[in-house]
Amino acid sequence: MSFWFTVLRQVGRNLRQTWPSQLMTLLTVSLSVLIFAFFYLVYSNMLNFGDKLGDDLSLIVYMEDEPGPELQQQLRRKITTFDEVEEIRFVSREDAYNRFATQLGENLDVLNDMPKDFLPPSIEVIPLKNLRSLNQVKLFSAYLAKLPGTLKVQYGQDWVERFYYFTRLLSIIVLLSGTLLILTTIFMVAYTIRLTILGRQAELELLKLVGATNNYIRTPFLLEGLLQGVLGSSLGITSLYILFQWIKLRFSGPGFLNLFEFSFFSPLVCITIIGVSILLCTIGSYSTMQKFLRI
Amino acid sequence: MNTQMTNTTGTGETLIEMIKVSKAYPPDIVALENISVSIATGEMFFLIGMSGAGKTTLLKLLCSMETPSKGLIEIGGNPIQQMKGHKLAKLRQKIGVAYQDFKLLTDRTTSENIAISMEVSYKKPQLIRKRVRELLEQLDLSDKHDSITGELSRGEQQRVTLARAIANSPTIILVDEPTGNLDATTTEKVMKLLTKSNKAGATIVIATHDDSIYRDTSHRVMELRKGQMYSIAGGASL
Ligand SMILES: Nc1ncnc2c1ncn2[C@@H]1O[C@H](COP(=O)(O)OP(=O)(O)OP(=O)(O)O)[C@@H](O)[C@H]1O
Ligand SMILES: [Mg+2]
Repeated sequence: MSFWFTVLRQVGRNLRQTWPSQLMTLLTVSLSVLIFAFFYLVYSNMLNFGDKLGDDLSLIVYMEDEPGPELQQQLRRKITTFDEVEEIRFVSREDAYNRFATQLGENLDVLNDMPKDFLPPSIEVIPLKNLRSLNQVKLFSAYLAKLPGTLKVQYGQDWVERFYYFTRLLSIIVLLSGTLLILTTIFMVAYTIRLTILGRQAELELLKLVGATNNYIRTPFLLEGLLQGVLGSSLGITSLYILFQWIKLRFSGPGFLNLFEFSFFSPLVCITIIGVSILLCTIGSYSTMQKFLRI
Repeated sequence: MNTQMTNTTGTGETLIEMIKVSKAYPPDIVALENISVSIATGEMFFLIGMSGAGKTTLLKLLCSMETPSKGLIEIGGNPIQQMKGHKLAKLRQKIGVAYQDFKLLTDRTTSENIAISMEVSYKKPQLIRKRVRELLEQLDLSDKHDSITGELSRGEQQRVTLARAIANSPTIILVDEPTGNLDATTTEKVMKLLTKSNKAGATIVIATHDDSIYRDTSHRVMELRKGQMYSIAGGASL
C-alpha cells in the first residue's frame, strides 16, 4: 500500500515538474498511433475488399484436349502443389457449349451451324479467397500455363494487377508509419524521461544514499512511460474512431463509398495496438533509465 | 582490544570492523592510512581531528559512499565493498547519515526532507507524519515544518539533516560535525537526541572538532591525525 502511495506521489511530482514536455510527448504518441492506425485501417479494409473481389476471381485454363479421368487426377495434383485452391472444375467441350448456349438465350440460333465441339475444354481454378492468392495470381497463371496440354490461361489481369500494386503500396505505407510509430514513441518517451531525470539528479543521488532500492527509483519512471503509452494510444485510437464515424456519416447515402462496407478495428486489434504502444513507451523509459540512473 | 575497557554502553559485540583500511584520492592525496578499528553494537564513538584529517572520508567509507583503496570494512560481519543493488540499499536503510554538507533537497519543505529516509523503506504515511513532528519538536524546529529548507539558516539546516538521519530509527547513525553552526543550548538539544537514540540501541559515530561535546564524555574518543588513527583513552581524561 505505502509502496504505491509513494510511487504515485512521485509520479505526480514528475508530471508537475515537466508537464509541458509530458504533454508534447502525449500528443506525439497519440499522433503516431493515429497515423499508423489510420493506414492500417485502410489497409485492413482493403483486404476485406479484396475478399469480395476474390469471389469473382477465377483462372480459366484452356486445354487442347479433354483430359481423361486419370489425367484429371494428375492435373489436380499438379495444380494443388502450387497452392491450395478453393475449387477446381473441369469443363468439357459439351459443358462449355451448353453454358454458352444458355448465355445466348434467345439468340440460340447463331449456334445452329456450329459443330457441338467448337469450344475448347477448360479447367476453372478458383483460388482461395485471401489476399495472398490474389497477390500471386500472376505467378499462378504462369505456372498453370506450363501444364501439359494448356492452350492459354485467362483471368481478370488488369484489375488484379492494379489491385495488387495498390495493396503493395498500402502495405509499405503501413510499414513505414509503423516504423515511425515505434521510433517516435520510444524516442519521445525516452527524451522526456531523460529530462525528468536530469531535472532531479540531486534528489535521485540522495535517494540512493538513503537506501532507496532500484525499484523504488525506477517504478515512478516506468509508470510514467506506461501512462504515456496508455493515454497516448487510447487518445489516438479514439480520435481515429471519431474520424471514422464522421466520414461514415458524412458520406452515407448513395455514393461511391457505399459500394464497400467499411468497418472499424475489432476490439482485439484495438487492444493489440494499445498494448504494443504501452510496450514501446515502457521500453523507451526503461532504456533511458538504464543510461541515466546508473543503478 | 581496548573496546571493552572504554565502552560503557556497547554490548561488546562488534558491529563495525575496519581492517587496515587506506583511502587515497586521485592523484595522490592520502586521506586515510592503515586504519584498523572496531566499533561495538550500541557504542557511541567520537572521531576527532583537525580539518582535513580524514573524518568525513572515514564516514563516507562506512556508508559505502566511497570505496577504500585498500583494506576491508565489515558491518555485522558482512564485507560492504562488494555490496550492490538491493543488498546495498537495504544496508543503507539501516545507516542514517547526517552529512557535513547536509545534502538537503533545498526546494522541498523540512518535513518532506525528513520523510525521505522513511519513505524509502515504505513506512506508513501516518507513521511518517507523527515521527517527523516528534523530531521537529525535539530539535526546536516545530514552526519550520512547511518551510523550504533552502530558506533556513545553516544551523536549522544542520538539524534537519540530523532529523533525516535518525528518522527511520537506523541501527547505525553517522553524524559529521553535528554542532558546527549551533549555539550551546541547541548543541545540548542535539546531543540529547543522539544520546536518546543511542540508549534506544543505535550505534553512533560522531565526527567533530567541537570539544564541548566530547570533553566530559565517558565514551570512546579517537583522533585522526594526517590519516592515521590515535586512541585517546577515555574522553573524560582530556
Ligand atoms: N573527493 C575528494 N577528492 C580529493 N581529495 C579529497 C576528496 N575528499 C577529501 N579529500 C581530501 O582528503 C583529506 C581528508 O578530507 P576529509 O574531508 O575527510 O577531512 P575532514 O577531517 O572531514 O575535514 P573537516 O574537519 O574540514 O571536515 C583532505 O586533504 C581532503 O582535501
Ligand atoms: Mg569533514
